[in-house]
Amino acid sequence: MTNENMILGVTDVAVHYGGVKAVDGVSFDLRRGEIHGLIGPNGAGKSTVIDAISGRRGLTRGAVHLDGQDITRCSVIERRRRGLARSFQRTSIFPNMSVGAQIGLAAHKVGAETPEQDARRVMEQLDLAGVAGTAAGSLGYGQQRRLDLALALVGRPIVLLLDEPMAGLSPQESADLAAHLLKLTRDWGVSILLVEHDTDTLFGISDCVTVFELGHVIASGRPGDVRAQPRVREAYLGSAA
Amino acid sequence: MSTPFRPGRLALATMGCIALTVAIGQAVSSETALSILTQAAIFALFATGVGVLLKQNGMVSFGHAAFFGLSAYCAAICLQETQWPAELVILVSLAATTIFAFLLALVIVRVPGIAFAMLTLAFGQLFYQLALKSRSLTGGADGISVAWPDTLFGIPTSTLLDNGIIFTISGVLLVLTLALLVCLHHSRFGQTTEAIRDNPERATFIGIRPTLPRALVFTLSAAITATAGILAAFNSGFISPDSLHWSISGTVLMMVVVGGYWNVTGPALGAAIYIVAKDLIGDLSTHWLSLFGVLLIVIVVFTDNGLSGALRTLAARARPTSAPRHP
Repeated sequence: MTNENMILGVTDVAVHYGGVKAVDGVSFDLRRGEIHGLIGPNGAGKSTVIDAISGRRGLTRGAVHLDGQDITRCSVIERRRRGLARSFQRTSIFPNMSVGAQIGLAAHKVGAETPEQDARRVMEQLDLAGVAGTAAGSLGYGQQRRLDLALALVGRPIVLLLDEPMAGLSPQESADLAAHLLKLTRDWGVSILLVEHDTDTLFGISDCVTVFELGHVIASGRPGDVRAQPRVREAYLGSAA
Repeated sequence: MSTPFRPGRLALATMGCIALTVAIGQAVSSETALSILTQAAIFALFATGVGVLLKQNGMVSFGHAAFFGLSAYCAAICLQETQWPAELVILVSLAATTIFAFLLALVIVRVPGIAFAMLTLAFGQLFYQLALKSRSLTGGADGISVAWPDTLFGIPTSTLLDNGIIFTISGVLLVLTLALLVCLHHSRFGQTTEAIRDNPERATFIGIRPTLPRALVFTLSAAITATAGILAAFNSGFISPDSLHWSISGTVLMMVVVGGYWNVTGPALGAAIYIVAKDLIGDLSTHWLSLFGVLLIVIVVFTDNGLSGALRTLAARARPTSAPRHP
């Protein structure tokens, strides 16, 4: 892989809480326009890695590069301005504000060149234009998940970090969201780092998969290759997978 | 659905309210009634200041009486110790209180929840003690007279202190403040502060730095309260440490909750009810705080957003086609 292909580089990242090593010595790359899935059992360190990359957690060791620039010491806001956006494991929206108002506000705050157009484009892309005037708190769960994604998508980010975006969705809603993600990478050129427990969906849409266990990477590569590895099947997928 | 902002309608409503205030000031002949209405308007302004902090920042202050008293003390001391014109003294008192509030806010708005409330209680009581102990400057527990000159803004002070006029001034200032806050609520800045209030972490992840907007809301809140303090000092010509005590902040907070802080006009409604009803119940007024406490419990238990919220819900029910707007 050449450096031009790499949009996000995670090098020897460690996050320790006192004596607990939540993540230790994790390295992987995300290529331009690809979806990179992270899987592993609960407590394996997937969400901690997302937190570390987005700036929500400080690193004990290691480095994070975005589009060739070292962003290890950048604040959350600086990372967002440089094009690194994220969604959250639990839906994180502004419940008292209308859908249109909060997407518009986000477009202004992330420094989009044409905030109104950008907000409209994101709402259309995620089928939220019809509920633009509705208070976010009164939306259904599936729409709230899409709104969470919309808040991350404004301002044309180059990398999206998605932490279990399909959690709590029905199979149909998960399939719709997966289709949206594929469309985003294809039409908008966004690269996606995706943590998801729905392994069938994740393997179906990912170009590359990294498997975590107890804060370490135990496998990484093309979905078919990863799935075939005995250690991965034992640790996470189960022998029947 | 969110209520769309119609500036023309707001301008019309503001002018209507100002006209009504002027009409009341002219029409009511009872000096006692006008005096009570003036006090209600001043405390409505005070409560509006406390309410905007709660509405926009989600922050509870037990120390806003400090700003109410600080601006009044500042005016009283400047008038006593300097030769400055009274108009300048008013501006300096408001500016000094506002700047102090901003500097304080830059430190304390970083602290969330109950700890913030305790910090406001601490600084409020600090000023109470300072006013009490600095006898040579503040008159200690006896308080200090505010020596207003014979004319203010070219108008004889005695004219301005006519009950009808001072009520009109206080009422118009209240109406203009409420109109300003409605504009703020619908502005990008208002949306920004609400985003921080509802979900500070998400706000950061869409590029909002929370400290400055929070500090600016706190400062605005303090400036409104300081204006009420100046009006009170003008109306009574006197200020004492009692005005800075935390119990005043607590009482005003009760007015805000009874009126409902999700609506811009709610705190003013709560204050007006508190002041007017206290006088109307006559001999029972010595037990007024207990009665108001019962009212507070009933309102907190049975309404979502105080009396203003209840009125809004009733109005929405009367119009079956429009859905009530949740805060």
